[in-house]
Amino acid sequence: MNTALRDSTPVVTMRGVSKAYRLGEVQVPALHAADLDVSGGEMVALTGPSGSGKSTLLHIAGLIDTADTGNYELAGTATTQLNEVRRTQLRRNAIGFVFQSFNLVPVMTVSENVEYPLFLDGVSRREARERVAAMLTRVGLADRARHRPDELSGGQRQRVAIARALVKQPRLLIADEPTANLDSHTADEVIAVIRALCHEAGTACLIATHDDRLTAHCDRVLALRDGVLQ
Amino acid sequence: MTTSLIRWVRFALRNTLRNRRRSLATVTLTALGSAAILVGGGFALFTYESLQQAAARDTGHLIVATRDFFDREEDTPMQFGIEHFDRLRDTLLTHREVRYVLPRLHFSGLISNGDKSVVMIGSGVDPQAEFSVRGPFLQLKAGKLLNEDSAKGPDVLIGAELAKSLKAEPGSALTLLGSTTAGALNAVDVKVRGVVSSGVPDIDKRLVLTSLATAQGLLATDKVSSVGVYLADMEQTATMRAKLAPQLAPVTMRSWEEEAVFYKAVRGLYDRIFGGLGLVIGLIVVGVVAGAMAMAIVERTREIGTLRAMGTSPWQLVRAFAIEGAALGAAGGLLGALVAGGVTVALMFAGLQMPPPPGRSVGYPLFITFSPELALITLAAVSVLAMISAAVVAHIAVKKPIVEALGHV
Repeated sequence: MNTALRDSTPVVTMRGVSKAYRLGEVQVPALHAADLDVSGGEMVALTGPSGSGKSTLLHIAGLIDTADTGNYELAGTATTQLNEVRRTQLRRNAIGFVFQSFNLVPVMTVSENVEYPLFLDGVSRREARERVAAMLTRVGLADRARHRPDELSGGQRQRVAIARALVKQPRLLIADEPTANLDSHTADEVIAVIRALCHEAGTACLIATHDDRLTAHCDRVLALRDGVLQ
Repeated sequence: MTTSLIRWVRFALRNTLRNRRRSLATVTLTALGSAAILVGGGFALFTYESLQQAAARDTGHLIVATRDFFDREEDTPMQFGIEHFDRLRDTLLTHREVRYVLPRLHFSGLISNGDKSVVMIGSGVDPQAEFSVRGPFLQLKAGKLLNEDSAKGPDVLIGAELAKSLKAEPGSALTLLGSTTAGALNAVDVKVRGVVSSGVPDIDKRLVLTSLATAQGLLATDKVSSVGVYLADMEQTATMRAKLAPQLAPVTMRSWEEEAVFYKAVRGLYDRIFGGLGLVIGLIVVGVVAGAMAMAIVERTREIGTLRAMGTSPWQLVRAFAIEGAALGAAGGLLGALVAGGVTVALMFAGLQMPPPPGRSVGYPLFITFSPELALITLAAVSVLAMISAAVVAHIAVKKPIVEALGHV
């Protein structure tokens, strides 16, 4: 396993993070006192049955949801007390997302989808184009730059989503079942791309998955059961 | 900043093409609303212009008279008349903007055919120039108009209803009975030269037009009641009033609009009617665009969640939807303006007639005035309304928690 670019500085540091949802009058615990450290360049897989708390942990780590209790530091920034504006900025600057259903913007071309995070970041058009071109070459889609997402296969779309998530070289990649909608051959390609890019950029990866082939490529595999990190 | 905005605009425009059928329906309804405003407003504008012309041609763009003539009732005929009309005319005609200076002597009394006498309301006028300024607003029904020899006859023109009442026709002999400025009764035998119609039956029942000299002879005066000043361009009314007023003191001057009671009443009524229509249509546009945007936003809930997760601020998303709404509104407004322009042109060739308005005996051609200013205002209004309604709907939607939005099916 190539860990040459692993950075021992923790990108994700969670301590005692808990989350419960209210269903009517009932409080349903989703995550209980989770402690988690993920270093730069490290790929960590979260496994567990549906409802075990994988997605809740990813959402909190991705700053799209908040913990009820506990502390979470992202790349040295304490996130617990941040307001929505700062959380949005932090997501924009430091986090990339890969979703199970790709979630590409259908009215944008492949290159525009990949360029979008750089556009949000205020990167100049010229630099953005260069970085997008380089990223599309890395994921093998340079010749598809002007295509729309609906003109691509599932595997190609997921590679575009990965390129979009990593083009800004985020500190953390959140991937929720990135291979669930792909055939085995395509899934292997996607896994290889994620692994290579994250290791090169020193990006910490937190991946929720049921896919054994994916967990086999991760540096650590953490199991969640009933909201408890094993 | 500009580049960034252009990209948001491009993004918004592409989004309008996602569901083309819905966008087309939104644009069509907005266009119909805009066209309704422009056609209705255009009809009102045409009516205003026609009434302006009628009022200004009747009185002159500027009306010169003594202050008391405007403000008080006379105790005896011509008590507040103007003397030395010729001097006044010469002064006014030194300005090249002034095309005609026409005297008016208003009088009342009886008109008789020997067997029957009825009340008349008469005017002594310049027998030649008067009828060239009246244009289509005084129709000759029979006989001829007055001319330079009308004072010799002396001749009169009478209203169509009055002619019917007196069983008079061109060539008939009638007698004008009036009171002189000294209060004595006086009579002048006249010959009917023509029968005219003002389009208002109540006026035509009493209308008598004769030469200024005849009217002055009846009233035994050399004064005139007022003087109508006709300008080369109606738009110069306010400017010329300011310019001429100091030269004419102590006589005063009013604009045609101040004296145009009917015009002001109609304008007030139409402003309220078409203002209300515009308000209702504006609300419809808001509803249509808000509905379309609400559907678009529900369909794109997951995408909104994705963009928010990636760090797009709620403000950026609201702005994108607002631009999208504004684009739909602007497209509808433009299409509406084109439709209204088409209707304007079609009416020019269709030759449709409107029925006579209440109190009038003749209809008028159905035209509408296409106003570029009104079209621009309408375009801006529907665009802004559409933008605001889209922004309001989007503002509510982007508040949805990101996790919930991402889980939307």
